[in-house]
Amino acid sequence: MHIALQRERESRREESVRLLLWMFLATITMLFAAFSSAYIVRSSGSDWTRIDLPDALLGNTIVLCASSITLELGSWCGARRRWNLALCGLGGALVLGIGFLVGQLQAWRQLQGAGIFLPSSPHSSFFYLLTGAHGVHVGGALAVLGYASLVATGPGRVEARHWSRAMALSRTFWHFLLGVWLVVLLLLTQY
Amino acid sequence: MAKQTSVIHASIVAALFAVLGIGGVVYGSRVALPGLASRHGAGIDAMLDYLLITTGVLFAVGYCALAYFIWTGARRGRIGQRLASRRTELWVSGTIGIAVALVAEGGVLAIGMPVWSEYFDATPPADAVTVEVLAQQFLWNVRYAGPDGQFGRTSSDRIDDVSNPMGMDRTDPAGRDDIITQNAITVPSGRAVRLRLRSRDMIHSFFLPHFRVKQDIVPGMTPEVIFFPTREGSFEMACTELCGLAHYRMRGFFDVVSPEAYEKWLTDQSTPPPARR
Amino acid sequence: MAQTTEQTTDMRHGSDAEHAHEPGFIRKYVFSFDHKVIGIQYIITGLLMALVGATLAMLIRLQLGWPDRVWPLLSQIFPKGYVSGVMTPEFYLAVVTMHGTIMVFFFMSYVLVSGFGNYLVPLQIGARDMAFPFLNMLSFWVGSISALLMISSFFVEGGAAAAGWTAYPPLSAVASAVPGSRNGQTVWLVSMAFFIASFTLSGLNIVATVFSERARGMSMWRMPLTVWSYFIASILGLLAFPALTAAAVMLILDRHTGTSFFIPIGLVVAGQHLSHTGGSPLLWQHLFWFLGHPEVYVLILPALGIACDVIPAFTRKPVFGYKLSVWCLIAVGALSMVVWGHHMFVSGMSPFTGEYFSVATLTITLPMTVFGVNMLASLWGGSIRLRVPMMFACAVLALFGSGGLGGLYLGNATADMQLTDTYFVVGHFHMMIGGVTLMATFGGLYYWYPKMFGRMMNEKLGTAHFWLTFTPFFVIFFMQHFLGIQGAPRRYYAFTAYDFLRETRLQNTIISSAAMVLISGQLLFLINFIWSLFKGRKAADNPWEATTLEWTTSSPPPHDNFGPHPLTVHRWAYEYGVPSDVGDYADQRVPKERVAVTA
Repeated sequence: MHIALQRERESRREESVRLLLWMFLATITMLFAAFSSAYIVRSSGSDWTRIDLPDALLGNTIVLCASSITLELGSWCGARRRWNLALCGLGGALVLGIGFLVGQLQAWRQLQGAGIFLPSSPHSSFFYLLTGAHGVHVGGALAVLGYASLVATGPGRVEARHWSRAMALSRTFWHFLLGVWLVVLLLLTQY
Repeated sequence: MAKQTSVIHASIVAALFAVLGIGGVVYGSRVALPGLASRHGAGIDAMLDYLLITTGVLFAVGYCALAYFIWTGARRGRIGQRLASRRTELWVSGTIGIAVALVAEGGVLAIGMPVWSEYFDATPPADAVTVEVLAQQFLWNVRYAGPDGQFGRTSSDRIDDVSNPMGMDRTDPAGRDDIITQNAITVPSGRAVRLRLRSRDMIHSFFLPHFRVKQDIVPGMTPEVIFFPTREGSFEMACTELCGLAHYRMRGFFDVVSPEAYEKWLTDQSTPPPARR
Repeated sequence: MAQTTEQTTDMRHGSDAEHAHEPGFIRKYVFSFDHKVIGIQYIITGLLMALVGATLAMLIRLQLGWPDRVWPLLSQIFPKGYVSGVMTPEFYLAVVTMHGTIMVFFFMSYVLVSGFGNYLVPLQIGARDMAFPFLNMLSFWVGSISALLMISSFFVEGGAAAAGWTAYPPLSAVASAVPGSRNGQTVWLVSMAFFIASFTLSGLNIVATVFSERARGMSMWRMPLTVWSYFIASILGLLAFPALTAAAVMLILDRHTGTSFFIPIGLVVAGQHLSHTGGSPLLWQHLFWFLGHPEVYVLILPALGIACDVIPAFTRKPVFGYKLSVWCLIAVGALSMVVWGHHMFVSGMSPFTGEYFSVATLTITLPMTVFGVNMLASLWGGSIRLRVPMMFACAVLALFGSGGLGGLYLGNATADMQLTDTYFVVGHFHMMIGGVTLMATFGGLYYWYPKMFGRMMNEKLGTAHFWLTFTPFFVIFFMQHFLGIQGAPRRYYAFTAYDFLRETRLQNTIISSAAMVLISGQLLFLINFIWSLFKGRKAADNPWEATTLEWTTSSPPPHDNFGPHPLTVHRWAYEYGVPSDVGDYADQRVPKERVAVTA
């Protein structure tokens, strides 16, 4: 009877954490919507020219996609209790995520090497702003993933339902950020 | 005894609301807008009068109703049953709410939209006097096109506080006869006025209270204001967008004079000053 | 066995301290996870910030009411702000800016939204705490950092931000434009970033709690209007604040890294030609007001919700049109996100856009009016006990009515042309987010004080406080509407430079005199608040004979609010006017068999 009560509390908790995450994603969406609308309005100005974007961006995008895929695979394995593979997936996502951030910094350095800095042009200002804002959020997500890894690799057996809960939330946040990145990339290259 | 005192106090509170409701309307009715001096301003004043009357009535009635409910409610003992059914509630709220909103809103839209359209869609009449105003911290630079009817070129990099506040391009012949004043605009009666507004630093806002003219001047934009003065006189201009320390005293004068006086003024301005030694 | 499970589950919810051992002072009162403690922390912090905000208001009114007078005492207290007894325009603008910022964000939002929200929501839905107690604590302390930062901005070089609480660039972006734009504006922006983070955490918590922590039987349609208002206000805030975050980041970049998001080309400030490229100051306005307008509804919705809960307890009849009122709140919340342009009618926006925003703003009038009618009708036919909370609730209604009517003038572009940026606006917004909210704050404090602290506040002092608050408040801000009609512009250090404003001089003196009465009247509240903590009459569980769940537990409630046994809700929140064994009401737990359910 008490196990049932516990399970009920847990599922309610899971529900509220999921709700919390989705509301937080709505907030982040509004943030990037604000940046994007500023971008679109500014891009209609007469002095708008797009800078050449650094090559590293393409590679970084691939890395971020790979990271999402790896996370997905790891979660899938975990649901089937293939723990070693699951942890590989989680670890891989983390490493690739860090790789993405390092790559973004590299992209910044490439631009600076070409003499294009934050205030150089309206487009460059938005480039640094959007990639910076996205990068900060990726950093936060990496902290969450890192915490999930610690919990998963900690002492004691990982229970399947805890794993799938933690993974569901991490995956949602992580894929969301990939989505944001693709939209940012679209803006920077097309408008 | 406690009940007695509380009834008395409730009655006094009720009276407070009634007094404020009536007093507010009395005070409001004695306050006047600055004397009207423009054609489109009549439309704005009509809107304001409509609102003052309708909101005044609603306000007084509302406050008196509140006073009445408190007055009677304090004297009522326990009520035994639920007063209104759900349906009654819907009807009452819905009807009163929508009626009030429609009177207020409907009137506003009916009166307001034409005024707004007229103000903004109006094409300037051919004989409108065009004046350029360049706002800065903390004064209004004013420029007329002069006898040739052409404004000279300006650019912001030529601006110098002492020698060239408007940033005139001295190589442009059209600008040689431009008339430049500070904090003073003179126009003839009987003609429309077209103001080209610019700012060289902060957001300012050009306000002519008597003409019901107000336009924010965002640097980088050149908004235009067109209106028709209906009486002669000297009227004050003020800034109505916080622009810095002396925002409160960016005072200028907008003079509407007879056509003859205007021609004389133009001639006086165009006459070159006596040669400097 | 049951005890162990409770303990285990409690540990999962982070309140293990209570069952294992008595927590230390720090954990219990400083870094508490308990929503009641956090709510009170927010309220106390907000009241302290209100003292600062009120002092700033006093300085403003001294300057405007008696512009020729010299204040040697103030020169001693504020040596940089008053030179030889005369207030400097620099200081005036900083005071105006900080008054607005502190009152809106650090008083109203703290006390009304975060304070009462955190305290009441779990109690009123029958929960033991918020869904995420740790996040709750975090939100308070992040918010406190924000408050400290904001206060510190007075002491940086150049003084506090001075571009108005609306911080329009280029005035807020260019350091040489006004002294407050040197460092004060940066501190302001950083403080706001912390504030928004704190508010986001708080808002997320409230929404999650309402969704998942409701007691058994507490359907959404049985929640009190207060909870509905916090729920909707939190969603609004979550969706609207990011616009200001984005704008603040871009403004910081413009100020310190040479970008030109908001600063156009070709500016000449203080003799210097600036090297910025084509940014748009209008962009800031759009982003700011995209937050700014919903923000005022974030403040006013909880105020209205609180009044709607207080009123039935003192009219002994249900709130009029509960379901319709809920729909009105939802409609107002949704509509509030698409009307921000009415702050920008004369800004240079296209007139077509202006027409759209006029029509949209006028549509908000409908649900607001219906809601107001419902509130007024809640008094109709009631048996009124005019205790102090009820006096303030009536004041909420009165100011909502008159303030709302003023909104009609500003919401349509035509009349707004003459009235925008004048004292009409100042009178209007003070009545709404200064008055409705202030009266609701006091009403709520007098009403829930017994629940929070276990003691009653003094009724006589409270009554005097009501008279000294509502009456001068009404006089001040009602008159300001008419100052605007006479053409008096906003943010003016003095009106003495203009002939057309000469007649406003006496009115300003009257307003300032009333303001001094208003501000000094608050002493009564402070004395009452502090004195009653120690000497107030001990409060019963339900001194007001109210029906909502917080009154079914002790005053103050135990740590887990309702004790170990789960409670079940059987009826809506306004079962007044029904005969029952306790009187003429039934609280939400009373089953159908004992007292008939009327809704």
